[in-house]
Amino acid sequence: MARAVVNSELCQGHTLCNFAAPDIFHLRDEDGHAYVVVDELTADQLPLARQAELGCPERAITVEE
Amino acid sequence: MASDDRVIVEFDQHSKEYRETYPAQAHELREQCPVAWSSKHDGFWVVTGHDVLSAISKRTDLLSNDHDPAGERNGYQGISIPERGTTRGGFIEMDPPEQSEYRRILNPFLSPAAVQVWNPLIADFTRACIDDVIETGRLDFVDDFANVVPAVLTMAMLGLPLADWEIYCEPAHMQVYTAPDSPHWDRMIESTMRMHARLADSVQLRKREPRPGMITALLNAKVMDEFLPDEGIIGTVTLLIGGGFDTTTSLLAGALDWLDAHPDERPRLVDDSRYLDLATEEFLRHFTPAQGGGRTITQDCDVAGFEFSAGDRMFLSYAMCNHDPASFPNPDEIVLDRFPNPHAAFGLGVHRCIGSNLARLDFKYMLREALRRMPDYRIEHAGKEKYESIGTINGYKHLPATFTPGRREGPTLAEVMVDWQARLDAEPAPENLRAEEGAR
Repeated sequence: MARAVVNSELCQGHTLCNFAAPDIFHLRDEDGHAYVVVDELTADQLPLARQAELGCPERAITVEE
Repeated sequence: MASDDRVIVEFDQHSKEYRETYPAQAHELREQCPVAWSSKHDGFWVVTGHDVLSAISKRTDLLSNDHDPAGERNGYQGISIPERGTTRGGFIEMDPPEQSEYRRILNPFLSPAAVQVWNPLIADFTRACIDDVIETGRLDFVDDFANVVPAVLTMAMLGLPLADWEIYCEPAHMQVYTAPDSPHWDRMIESTMRMHARLADSVQLRKREPRPGMITALLNAKVMDEFLPDEGIIGTVTLLIGGGFDTTTSLLAGALDWLDAHPDERPRLVDDSRYLDLATEEFLRHFTPAQGGGRTITQDCDVAGFEFSAGDRMFLSYAMCNHDPASFPNPDEIVLDRFPNPHAAFGLGVHRCIGSNLARLDFKYMLREALRRMPDYRIEHAGKEKYESIGTINGYKHLPATFTPGRREGPTLAEVMVDWQARLDAEPAPENLRAEEGAR
């Protein structure tokens, strides 16, 4: 089972994960910090989550398989 | 590395050489050492390696943004190298937890969801700026366009009169482009102090007459049961004007200048919003409008294999880190659909640009409209003028262009200004928790 995790200590609200994978990462209304909305990544979602991981300026995202 | 093994360079981000060779000096420096010691401006570390930047910029335990010109706490010099001004520049010159409180108050105005309410204002002012020049076939992309919309938007969000953008325009730009060795330095300091005094008056006025917006929100907020000090609020308003006026402006000018030589890219940026999204990040990476930030090391420490001493100054060069080939292949080339693009143009760590969501929204709309309505524009390079120093903000004073004239689509800028002021004035006044003080 694969899942994406946002380290909320590191996330600063750059919002690029939401841009790469809007179905996986949502942004909090109050400050734009990201959170994950799916428990398990589907095979289709996995590459998008990986892109979000690579594109995060704070290196706050990890994808666990 | 022991500190006496430091690689010594003569780097000055405000120099003519840096401006004229940007971003080439990044590579020269990084090859010598991703963290070198510059002997300029009384000595400071300059970080040019993206990995080192990532490691160090989150260490709020070791780095301070504090600016304490009166020497009441630590005497730290804030985020400008060399030190600038005799007042603290709002929350960007504070450390957590104080800094976090200001951001907590302002975030609800600047989150991705919140900024969407300004779409109609951005659209109306963008259209009007273009309409005022569209029949002439000539404009200055800075003076007539990029300077105007972000500035008016900032006024609206602060809750200040929209037309006042013109009063703050020159001092706001001058404070970022004047080099420390410029003959205009003293004049810049004077004009900055006048702007500061005027904003101080505006903050006092909002204690009597609250208006929707960030000033009244700051005035009404309490931290540990206390109102924020006036000095912190005034510094913050000055910061928001600087950030709101000069960064989106510079990004637009950089992009429009580059697109002069790449006209084939223009139609796709108008038609393909995904491409525009990616291109926006690439323009941010390459031009890095806010070039970097100064810090003070708070304790002797070792980070990523480098040794630093308490009190050392450090310049985090977001611009040069954004051109690190280890993170960005072919870094000096603008590849509009570059991905992934984990650039540091908005800074890294807790000081990430609080206006980033607004900047993206405004930039994308304005760029698309400029390209849609002036699709064949050509820059007049003889009249193009970059900032004297790009070390603070990588921007332009002037960027004149010509294009095939077109037709107006609506009322003038002056009319739109009056109309929007009336719309904003019709909003009900928020509660005033500072009425008692305002009456004094």
